[in-house]
Amino acid sequence: MDNLSNYVLISAILFSLGLFGVITRRNGVAVLMGVELILNSANVNFLAFARFGGMNMSGHVYALFVIVLAAAEAAVALAIIINIFNNFRTINVDDVSELKQ
Amino acid sequence: MYRDFGTILFLVFMGIVLIYAPLVIQKLLAPNDPNADKLATYECGEESEGSAWVQFNIRFYVVALIFLIFDVEVVFLFPWAVVFNELGLLAFVEMGIFLLILMLGLAYVWRRSDLDWVKYNVKYGRGRYSNLYKKSQTIKGS
Amino acid sequence: MSNLESLKFFWPELILSATALIAILSDLIYERKDSHKVSFWAIGGLLLTFITIRLFGGSSINGLFMGTMALDPFSEFFKILIVLSTIIVMLMSFNSSELDGYRKGEYYTIMSIMAFGLVMMTSAIDVLMFYVAIEIVSIMSFFLAGYLKRNPNSNEASLKYVIYGAFSSGVMLYGLSILFGLTGETNFFAIKNAISQLGPDSNLALILSIVFILVGLGYKISAVPFHFWTPDVYEGSPTSITAYLSVAPKAAGFALIIRFFNIAFGSNSAMGSDEWSSLNSLPWPFLIALLSAATMTIGNLVAIQQQSVKRMLAYSSIAHAGYMMMAIPVMSQSGIYGLMIYLFMYMLMNLGAFFVVMYVQDKFDGENFDAFNGLGWKMPLLGISMTLFMVALTGLPPTSGFVGKFYIFAAVIEAGNQYYWLAFVGVINSVVSLYYYIKVVRHMYFEGERSDIVSLPESKLTTSLVLVLALPTFFLGWYFSPLVEWANNSLNFFLGI
Repeated sequence: MDNLSNYVLISAILFSLGLFGVITRRNGVAVLMGVELILNSANVNFLAFARFGGMNMSGHVYALFVIVLAAAEAAVALAIIINIFNNFRTINVDDVSELKQ
Repeated sequence: MYRDFGTILFLVFMGIVLIYAPLVIQKLLAPNDPNADKLATYECGEESEGSAWVQFNIRFYVVALIFLIFDVEVVFLFPWAVVFNELGLLAFVEMGIFLLILMLGLAYVWRRSDLDWVKYNVKYGRGRYSNLYKKSQTIKGS
Repeated sequence: MSNLESLKFFWPELILSATALIAILSDLIYERKDSHKVSFWAIGGLLLTFITIRLFGGSSINGLFMGTMALDPFSEFFKILIVLSTIIVMLMSFNSSELDGYRKGEYYTIMSIMAFGLVMMTSAIDVLMFYVAIEIVSIMSFFLAGYLKRNPNSNEASLKYVIYGAFSSGVMLYGLSILFGLTGETNFFAIKNAISQLGPDSNLALILSIVFILVGLGYKISAVPFHFWTPDVYEGSPTSITAYLSVAPKAAGFALIIRFFNIAFGSNSAMGSDEWSSLNSLPWPFLIALLSAATMTIGNLVAIQQQSVKRMLAYSSIAHAGYMMMAIPVMSQSGIYGLMIYLFMYMLMNLGAFFVVMYVQDKFDGENFDAFNGLGWKMPLLGISMTLFMVALTGLPPTSGFVGKFYIFAAVIEAGNQYYWLAFVGVINSVVSLYYYIKVVRHMYFEGERSDIVSLPESKLTTSLVLVLALPTFFLGWYFSPLVEWANNSLNFFLGI
């Protein structure tokens, strides 16, 4: 496992899974989980590059910031979904479409 | 070297034996006479009711979200704590400012009564707790 | 430059963040009915920020906070634009009846935090700062879009915004991570040096990362094909926020795009040349020109079919993003200051148009074209101003919209005959847009009954705000040399000419 390409491969798989989740899932929370996967795939990339590239600490710092921002974003998104549920009684993204397409 | 790992192997082996031996023994000795009451899920002595897939009170989520935010912000404290000695006073002050801003957020949530378990001034919503507001009004009125 | 030394160049941002904190604090103290008073703190803080931006302007430092932020006249121009539009939108919100019944303190607090994020966006020269600033802006705009939490439309707007926004910023982050892996650097200048040493075998990864980064940035300026959120979010959000979203994040997004692509991917002679030296493997300028043409065409064609003026303006803002994007493939000096001038004019006329829509929505209960019937006779001031805004958005002389468009088109034509087609598409689109802009004017003057009773808006604030937006829209069409000079100077410092 001491190989950069393994980590990049894992991150690419995570990214693709996240993309797949965002595109196919209709449940709001599941879509958010897909987004989290994408963010974490980027995190894996940052850490792997910082570790194996022998570069500098920026990658690690970056990962910390991404974790925090992802949490903030998830919190806001979940709050919005709770609010949607209060008004629409559903969290299916497709059912929430009163605005004209 | 060899002997050290031998000890570990022995411990692992003993661990497995000690766990499975009582299970096997009780399987052999215990009478097997099931009925409906015995097979029911144990819920602290209460009779279990309905499915586990029920909707929880929405307040769970709000409190969880608030927890999530403050929990994750702590991640900034770890790298700071590791090199705290080298950075000195300046970093301490910087972290103080950061925590102060976080405290402000907490104070805001508190003041807006989002930490209360039952938030009485919810006027909207069609959830099963939406009647609480009406109830609180009648209690105040009476 | 170390953190402590940088602080003395950081006053505007410090004041802005202090403003946000004071706004939260004061909201803690105010009772619910007094909550709107937070806006006084917020507007006061923004005015102070505006003054300090002017006071500390003029200098050019490229490595604040250990090389993560730049202070230069280029960012100063955008900062002023952003702070001005924030103040105007806050004033607009005073009379918005949509917000009645909600606690307004948070609204102003979140807006000042968003202004802070936008200001950071304009001066970020580090990938980390770039991402953090974009996220601050995105998260705050999710809040603002869904501020009317009892209104299903607003809920829906924020849901769509949060899904598209989180997704595209995630994709952008992945692109940034690849870029970091390729170069090992986070500072734009260092990235550029590292890219120039990359071998041809890393071209594919580089292309991938740039495409991903473009997803995030394209979403921010609502360029096709990342525009799907725009109409729904703009229609569902409170109108004042729609106005804000259509101006300020777009300006900051363009500033970031220009800075990022110029520094990280530009050729050595700053922006003088129109080639993107590091990326010769694909015809990037051509691709972006195509996107720009697609953006304005789709925006315009869909805008024609709309029944609601608010939604029409949403699509028209996509079209305007397309016009502004014309400057990016050109990347010449004149293109970029054309873009800056355009953004300034666009701020005035678009905020004005949305303000009138907001007023009509409140008073005549509707945002469809029919709600505008006879407005020109009932309220001449609003009618004339709205006509002016519509003409300016079309880009006809003698309004400021014409000047903005003129500079952008001139830059595109100047760039040589490979972009003549782009200018041609732009002109055709402007002509098409005339149809739906004039439709508003037709409804105001030729539909519905004419009324003999002439009235002004009841509140003096409304009247003066309309005037504040309409007068410059008109007069900047005649006398625009100070603005052009200002934009030009801002750019010269940025380029180091």
